[in-house]
Amino acid sequence: MTAVLIVALVTGAILFGIGVYGALSQTNLVMIMMGVELILAGALVNLVAFWRFLHPESYSGQMFVLVVMTVMALEMAVGFGVAIARFRSRGSVEMEEAEDLKG
Amino acid sequence: MYAQAFFVAVFGLAAIGFGVWVFRTSSMVRSALALLFSQTAVGCMFLAMQTEFLGVLQIMMMATEMSIMAIFMVMFMMDPGGMGGMDMTHQKRFSIGAGVVAAGVAIAVAVLADWAPVSAEAPAAAMQTRELGRELLGRSMMIFETAGITILTAMIAATAAAIPVQTPAHSDEKENPE
Repeated sequence: MTAVLIVALVTGAILFGIGVYGALSQTNLVMIMMGVELILAGALVNLVAFWRFLHPESYSGQMFVLVVMTVMALEMAVGFGVAIARFRSRGSVEMEEAEDLKG
Repeated sequence: MYAQAFFVAVFGLAAIGFGVWVFRTSSMVRSALALLFSQTAVGCMFLAMQTEFLGVLQIMMMATEMSIMAIFMVMFMMDPGGMGGMDMTHQKRFSIGAGVVAAGVAIAVAVLADWAPVSAEAPAAAMQTRELGRELLGRSMMIFETAGITILTAMIAATAAAIPVQTPAHSDEKENPE
């Protein structure tokens, strides 16, 4: 069974790496959000694998998964709110054009 | 056990493949659909790991979320179909390095760590749902309530951010269009 746990953890790690690449390399706000979604998906895979294979008797792990899913939905909602505001004011959601946000 | 390992690996590969495809295609709509397939494969991994409730929840949530994302892609992009082959990336080498290092460190921990004895049997699906409900309305109720309040706050924040700002100049224009 340890092999299944390791397969799941490696999958989560690779999803995390792809998400990091996406969040850092993309210039479009919505694409950056997609990268963050992949990072959180990697975290979800790890959490479920830890619950299933290491602590199936404690349901705090599943509770944690629900919290991460909530964070994913909130990130999308607030991100799209910001994207709409940005699109209205500047006509674009390209982050390279958002240098005026620098302090 | 072998069947479980096989399905976890197959859905894991699908999740990774579609995850890579998200940033490989120049069409924003295809990116959103690839992310939908990747998240669905993650939900199928949950099902293969006998976490039925969370698997179904993941698939349902992500199907809705990514469909909305695809609509926003069409709304916001100059080239949603990717016909122009626009490059929307920057600091590519640094990003690849950061991604590889992050994944490499996590894989090293996963492979090299001495994990405790793993459990062969998972609780039955009905029992999982019942016990999760007890957890949510018992020991973790404060966390659950905090998540609810956070969702409400985010809804208000997202709506407030999306409402157009009415400056005096704009309201004058509306009152006297000519």
